[in-house]
Amino acid sequence: MSKSVSTKALARSYGAERGLTFVIGLIALAAGVVALVVAVGWLGDVRAGRPVLDPLAVEWLGNHAVPSKIVAIVVGVLLFVFGIWWFLRSLRPENRPDIELDREIGRGLTVTSGAISGAVQADAESVDGVAKARARAVGDKENPALRLTLWLREGSDLKAVWEEIDAHVLARARESLGVDVLPTAVRIELDSGERQRVR
Amino acid sequence: MRVFVRLLSTLLGLVVAAAGGLLALEVGWHWWRPADAPLLLPWPAWRDRLSELTWDRSPVPLIAAIVAVAGLALIVATLSARRRTVRMTDPATGVSVTTSPRSLARLVGHRVRAEDNVNGASVTATAKKVRVRATSRLETENQLRPRLRESVGELLSEVPLARRPKVSVVVDSPKDRR
Repeated sequence: MSKSVSTKALARSYGAERGLTFVIGLIALAAGVVALVVAVGWLGDVRAGRPVLDPLAVEWLGNHAVPSKIVAIVVGVLLFVFGIWWFLRSLRPENRPDIELDREIGRGLTVTSGAISGAVQADAESVDGVAKARARAVGDKENPALRLTLWLREGSDLKAVWEEIDAHVLARARESLGVDVLPTAVRIELDSGERQRVR
Repeated sequence: MRVFVRLLSTLLGLVVAAAGGLLALEVGWHWWRPADAPLLLPWPAWRDRLSELTWDRSPVPLIAAIVAVAGLALIVATLSARRRTVRMTDPATGVSVTTSPRSLARLVGHRVRAEDNVNGASVTATAKKVRVRATSRLETENQLRPRLRESVGELLSEVPLARRPKVSVVVDSPKDRR
């Protein structure tokens, strides 16, 4: 099941980083355990007494010198490219795409992400019961979406706030952008008014 | 924890890239000019050392254990760094809503503390389960628990959650100890 654009917009994407780190962890665990099993002698004392760099393996590599060198170089280059991709992917900041309303050459019309998030934020903060609001554009240029974080005051009626947001804030955003659907992810923090301090 | 995993992920990416690059470089250099090898790493010394060292000699098991533990730590870190947000029902197509477990707990906590004869309450919440621990000086657990459970259930049915969490209520009352 592929996630919808608005579901993806809920939080910064993170699956690849987490998955790859998990795989590296798995590989390290497996390698460590196998080496430990060999060292303890569960695969036999002969195995445990052999050198780590086994002469048999070295001899085999020597007999197949050219293919093994080619394989080593190819694997090295692939690992290098993959590692650089992974590194850059982990470092890159989350996109803030501008929303292109009209892509025709000569009459392109683009709304910058800052403009749209500022407008939606101001609108949302004017809703009764919303203490604070933050909005930003997320996703990529092809599938832009809006992420709206709302901090509701203590005791505010969630449904009333929600209707207000949907009927006015998001409807106005859609209208002013001239789109029928604006994928939106809303994160709500409930009861987060000013804290009451004991004096 | 998620920031930590992101940091680890960045470092591991760099390590993989460095390892791959060095492997390709050293093998290629050795192939091109066997006489000038090694280029950057003293790998012939490593090779000689490894061909003497047997599996059961001292640093090998220790290093294996360290690698295994480090792998396990990575696995634990990635597994515990999952998202814990609570999904709410989608109010319209193209709109998704979540809230934080902390918000849900806060909401339930306010309701529970507003009940009569409740002196204090602590609440923990996940998308699947809401745990309430209330203290009361005036009512016993059997008196207070059904009321609290009903009240929390009513509150949760007002909040449009995607799946309704189970509610467990524990009351700590001095009256029960007599």
